Parts: sequence; structure tokens; C-alpha cells
Amino acid sequence: MNSKKVSIVIGSGGIKCAAAIGLVKVLEAEGIPIDLVVGCSGGSMYAALIAAGVTAEAMQERTLFLWTSEIMKDYTSNLKATQDGSLRFNERSGLVDDSVMNERLHAAFDEYRFEGLARPLRLVATDLMRGERVVLEKGSLFDAVRASLAIPLIFPPWEVNGQLLVDGAAVDPLPVDVAIQEGAEVIIAMGFMLSNRGRMRSMTAVQQQLNNIYMNNLLKATYAFYNLAHHAEIFPILPDFEEPLGMFDTDKLPDIIARGEAAARAELPRIVRLLEA
Amino acid sequence: METSVEMVGSVAVVAVSGSIDALTAPELAAAINQQIEEGHTNLVADLAGVEYTSSAGLRVLLGAVKETRSRGGDLRLAGIRPDVKKVLDLSGFTSILKHYPDRGSAVDSYGG
Amino acid sequence: MPSKKRIALVIGSGSVKCAAALGLMRVLEREGISVDMYVGCSGGSLYAALLALGTPVEAIAEMSAALWTRDLTARPNRRALLQALVPALVKFDARFSLRDDRLVNRRLEEVYGGHRFEEAKTPLYITATDFMTAEMVVLSQGALFPAIRASMAIPLIFPAWELDGRMLVDGYLSDPLPVGVAIREGADVILAMGFEAAYQSRLSTLARYVFQFTSVMSNNLLTANFAFHNLAHHSEVLLLVPEFEQKVGLFDTEKIPYVIEVGEKAMEKQLPYLRQLLAA
Repeated sequence: MNSKKVSIVIGSGGIKCAAAIGLVKVLEAEGIPIDLVVGCSGGSMYAALIAAGVTAEAMQERTLFLWTSEIMKDYTSNLKATQDGSLRFNERSGLVDDSVMNERLHAAFDEYRFEGLARPLRLVATDLMRGERVVLEKGSLFDAVRASLAIPLIFPPWEVNGQLLVDGAAVDPLPVDVAIQEGAEVIIAMGFMLSNRGRMRSMTAVQQQLNNIYMNNLLKATYAFYNLAHHAEIFPILPDFEEPLGMFDTDKLPDIIARGEAAARAELPRIVRLLEA
Repeated sequence: METSVEMVGSVAVVAVSGSIDALTAPELAAAINQQIEEGHTNLVADLAGVEYTSSAGLRVLLGAVKETRSRGGDLRLAGIRPDVKKVLDLSGFTSILKHYPDRGSAVDSYGG
Repeated sequence: MPSKKRIALVIGSGSVKCAAALGLMRVLEREGISVDMYVGCSGGSLYAALLALGTPVEAIAEMSAALWTRDLTARPNRRALLQALVPALVKFDARFSLRDDRLVNRRLEEVYGGHRFEEAKTPLYITATDFMTAEMVVLSQGALFPAIRASMAIPLIFPAWELDGRMLVDGYLSDPLPVGVAIREGADVILAMGFEAAYQSRLSTLARYVFQFTSVMSNNLLTANFAFHNLAHHSEVLLLVPEFEQKVGLFDTEKIPYVIEVGEKAMEKQLPYLRQLLAA
């Protein structure tokens, strides 16, 4: 077809990141090859599966297996325990016992390492102590996905190569820069704005709203820069979600995937036109 | 993509329609540069007919803004459609460019 | 030599550190360089507003030391953060805060009460953040007090401020150094004084963990916005990030003279280039 390198970037967005499955469906159907996959936070899970060459259908199944409310084990009791002082908090803590999540992620990713994936993969996390972006591209896929997914306060950070890593969304919610750095030409960037809360009924809700404000502004500011800095074309794909989605609304999965597919389809003619030019 | 130019007082209004992308952006750049070379630095880009703008298209608009501003003028946007507005918001353009609902108010913003 | 280039001073968020802008102004005054517009965010809005009103630099130093004192957040309830984790005990809404804002309101009223944007000798823009939509809000007309109060509504510490039907919080949540406002308003040379949030070396409590994470996000937001504005501007943006060797805490107002000195040095370093720019 042509020699332009196509990279896809899947940003952070919790369960909404499953919209990436819809994107892959569209690209596969059109025979558009993917040369590089970049992911951040929830998007890391899908980026990793796409890089491993897992089919769209299998990705959907794995989402249902990985992403259930059981991974929030002990959240409420730990939250209470921080209040009466019986739970001490430090930089390695989280409000959730991560054993269930780790078990699921091990089952999904232990068979892979970065080396030997069907497509090159880069995942983004944050160095908690230094506040810097860390790009993971070697070794255990489990470690990288786990680190990139470590929502601050909720899940304990994950140590990789001596660095304490958390959710990549704190530095780079839609890491287009990693694709630029790798020499990508055409970049398809699927990002998610977090939904703002209408009402805030608790301290955690206020804290969450504050984080959402930061991350939405960070997404815009980083994208604005990448957009000017890149020499070739970036296609932003921002699926629309009319209602805010809960973290574990897996029953909405088919709808999320359909929205991702629709958003990708809307952009497709332009992508094809550029690739054929 | 098509462009047309109309002078309203000392303001040059460049009306654009269609899609501004990597393939059509050079044409838009040429149309705007011609205005600047003719000494028109107070520009309005009327985007009411624009249904899409890509990252390459945005960089052309920005180039024009920088050029006019460094000559003491400005490029202001008018009539942005909701879909295009979404891309302009995401790309930071609505926070650094002045934009107006229609070409009339954009022209008036230069103070006649 | 007077220049036709329009100069903007943008003062970012940084509480007491924002007084460094006064040091910068000392240098400009000495050089006979006048500022054509001021933009202020959070703590920076306190200084931007007084400078725009034409208050002498030395008077501003005194006024800000008297305004910004430790008792603004008096009677710290060390358990408040944790107690608030149980919302059932507290009537909770978006205006929630851990501190009473009556004193800070009174102090701000004393300094800014009765003043309006319209009487500023130099155009003034103050930024806040819409708490519900996350968008930056630029305030440039009407009474000064509500604008400044909104711009420095530090989340969780001071309550959000309602203005024209919008719930506003601290400007640093949308852009800790709002250079974009100066670009949009037609500035040529932009002096951008910003401050990075400090990182903790150990996160021994939940509160420290939250502060750390907030600092990480706000520093990255500062960098990302600046990276964009730097590329997007047609002229020059001079970034001034004063480096403090002494630790300057949230209420270390006794360090204001030191902070001003550091700001003065930061500006002096860039002065030769600024002179060249204005002469060109």
C-alpha cells in the first residue's frame, strides 16, 4: 500500500480504553498495518494486547476477565482504616489489596515479554518520586502494564528497575510524544477526556474531580504541543460518551467498543486518503 | 478546499470551505501569505465552511497568526463549527487565538 | 529607549514565591522598561493586581507580607482530611474546604475591596479554573476581590468561589503559568515567571502522598503548557524560574525580602537579552 509508518497511541481512560478494540477492528478490516503501539494507564492493557497480536474478539474476552470489581478488594475497609489511623500510609501503599489484580494480570501477560511481540510496544508510567515520564520497552510485560495502571492512592505503586512507578496519566495521558520520538509518521491517537462530576458528595469525590481537572488539562496541553511539534499528520480520535462511565461498567463493553469503532470509522477516509497520497 | 478573499474596510477576510489537511494546507498558506505580502495584516479566517482541519492544517493557521502578529496585526477566527471547535480546543488554539461566532463580529473586533 | 513591542508579565502560581515578581519589577523600573499587561494566576494574581493598579513595588512587598500570614489557615485540624474521608458525617458539596475562609476574605477585602479591573492603569488578567468543567476562566472586568479570591481558592484548603454562576477554584489547576492569555491579548515579548512545586523525599502519610501526586501533575502541566506556548508564540517568551536555595514554605512571609532578591537576580540574568530584544 505505502511505506508510511503508522503508529497508534492509546491514552488513559479506565474502562473507556476498551474503545481501542473498535479502532483495531476498523484498521484490520481496512488492511492498514500498525508499525508501533504506545499505551498509557488503562490504554496500556490494550496497547500490549494489540502489540501481542491478540484478535479483537479475544481482547474483549480478556477485558471481561481482567476488569471486574473484585480487583478493588478491601477498598472500603482500607479507606476506613486510614481514617482511624490503623492503616499507615507510605509511598508503597495503596487503598486496594492488589493481589487479585496482580493474579489476573499475570494470567493475561506472563506469556509475553516486550522482546518477541508481533509489533514494537512502548508503555508509559510515572516515576512517583521524581515526577518524570518513564517509557517501558524491555523485559516483563506484566511489570510494565502493572506499573502503568497503578492509579495513585488506589493501587500500590510498582517497582521496576529500582524506580517506584505509578499511572502514566500523571505525566502524559496521551503519549503521542513517544511515537514522535520513535520516528512515527502517521499517528492515530485515541484519547479520553475524563467526565466531570456534577455533584461532589465526599472528600474522595472532590479529590477525584481535582485529578480529573489536572488530567484533562494535561491531555490538552501535551496534545497541543505534540500537534505543533510533529512534522507529519496526527489523527486524534476522541470517542464520545454521553454518560459518565463507572470504573467497572463492563456491561457497557459492547457499547464502548462500538463507539470506538464509530469514532475510528469517521476518521478513516482521511487516514486512507493520506496513506494513499 | 476552497478559499476566497474579501476586504471589509482594512480587514482581509479569508473564507475557507472544505477540509484543511496535509494535502490542502499549502494552498491555504499561499492564499494567506498573499494577503500578508500585499500589506494586509488584520486578517479574519472565516471557517464557517470548514468541516475538518487536521494537524497539518492547524500548523498553517498558526504560521499565519505568527506572521501577522509579528507585523503588528492578527489572525482571528470566525464561525467555527462544533466538530472543528473540538479539535481547536484540544490543540490549544482557542486559548491563544481570538475567535468569534461569525465573520461580522470578528471584523468588528478590529475596531473598524 | 521606548519600544513599540508590547511587554507582558505573567506571574504563575507559587504562593509566597510569587513575590519574586517584585524583584523582577525592580530591575525593569531601573531600566525604564514598562509593562503593557499583567497576567496573574493564584498567588501571582495578588501581585499582578497591585502592579496593574500602579502600587509602588516597595509598598506591595509590605502589603503582601501583612496579607499572607500563617493564621490564614489557623487552627489546623490535623484529622480533618481523614475525617472527611467519611462523607456521611459531613454535609458535603463542591464548596467543601478544610479551613475557614473568613480571615482570608477579610484580608483580601482590606487590600482589594472597592477596586475594579477597570481602574487598573495597565490591563490586567486573572485566571481561575471552572471546578465543574475543568476549563480555564480568564477574569478581566468587574470587582477585583472576587477574581483574586477565586484565583487562589486552593482546592481542599479554601472553599471554591462562585462568580457569575460558575464555581471557580485555583487557576493553577488549568495552567500554573498562563502564558496563553498574554499571547491571545497580543503581547510581543512575554516575561513568564513560574514556580515549580517541590517534591517530597518520603511519602510517610496519605496527605503527603496526595501532595506529591498533585505536585507531579501540576509541574507536568506547567511544562506541557509552556512547551506549547513557546512554539505557538510569534515573538519571544522569556521563562524565568527563580531558583531558591533556601526552602520557602507556604507561609514563610518573613522570607519575602529574600524571595524578592532571588527574583531580581533571575531577571538580571536575562536582562542583556531583553535589552537586545527591545532594541531590535
